[in-house]
Amino acid sequence: MIFIAILIGCIIGAIVGMNAPIISYTMSGYLAISIVAALDSVFGGITSVLKGNFDLKIFVSGFFGNAILSILLTYLGQRLDVDIYLAAIVVFVGRMFTNLAIIRRYYLDKWSKKIEEKKANRQANKQEK
Amino acid sequence: MTKNKVAITLGIMCLILTAAVGIQIRTIESTSSTVKQTLKDDNLRDAVLKWKEKYDNKYRELEQSTQQLEKERQKSTSTDATSIEKQEELKKINAYLGLSKVEGQGLIITLKDNVTSKIGTAEDVVHDGDLREIVNELKNAGAEAISINDQRITPSTAITCIGTVILVNDEKVGAPFIIKAIGNQERLWGAITRPGGYADILETYLTVDIKREDKILIEKYNGVLTNQTLKNEE
Repeated sequence: MIFIAILIGCIIGAIVGMNAPIISYTMSGYLAISIVAALDSVFGGITSVLKGNFDLKIFVSGFFGNAILSILLTYLGQRLDVDIYLAAIVVFVGRMFTNLAIIRRYYLDKWSKKIEEKKANRQANKQEK
Repeated sequence: MTKNKVAITLGIMCLILTAAVGIQIRTIESTSSTVKQTLKDDNLRDAVLKWKEKYDNKYRELEQSTQQLEKERQKSTSTDATSIEKQEELKKINAYLGLSKVEGQGLIITLKDNVTSKIGTAEDVVHDGDLREIVNELKNAGAEAISINDQRITPSTAITCIGTVILVNDEKVGAPFIIKAIGNQERLWGAITRPGGYADILETYLTVDIKREDKILIEKYNGVLTNQTLKNEE
């Protein structure tokens, strides 16, 4: 059910994105930073699902809150003539990488455990014979 | 919170995210960002460097072939007295036209921009006209070979100005300008350093350095002299 919903959402989103009007170039900078923030919270969500402490409220508030906050910070940085968005990118992408590493390790562990189990099963079968 | 609710919220979030990514990609594609611009510039610079390397290689090949031609010519003419004479004549003409490396006594004139000037007027830099005047005076005094920053002055050489640099033989040259001239040293020296001469006038607002040398090497012209409409009248 959840995967189907995600898939349908992605497909409709892609279609909407392809047909939506183009926004102005100055706004695209804000949109880009919010996309990075949203992607970061998506990976964070996947990690928390794997860890077993997933909370939808935290996830949704992080998704929208991070995006809006990053846009506001970028705007503030432009007003102050400081490239705050650079700091946002460093933090978000750095966190994305750590989350990706956790996801990768989780699946690698699962995979190697499966292989070991199979080996153990085979040896057990042999001994029975 | 039911499972359906979770699925719907996740679906909506994915929709927003992918839509935003799509809009962003299309916006970036339709505008030329600075990143794209620098990428384009880098590619162009790369292309220029590649072409320059190719040109240098071809030029080296050409040089080798001319050397070979020279050898062949010497071999075929070494037995005949009249051909030797012709050969000598050819060498002389080539030296005069700027097609061979030459040496001899003469002057080395260095023109530098005036860096001590505080105001920085247009007169503080060396102009193409200054170079033309100096070359003209050298020729008038009987200079047989002249070069500006190793660009040989040939019958077809033009000294022109394109903004901040000066073109000699269609090659860019910049300050300091080292003008080498081979000819009768006394006559050249007298002509250049005479009071009221062009170098004398230039000295009031530029750095002009004139040296006598007994052995000056002047490079040959790097291009090809062409004549398409000229014909010898018999």
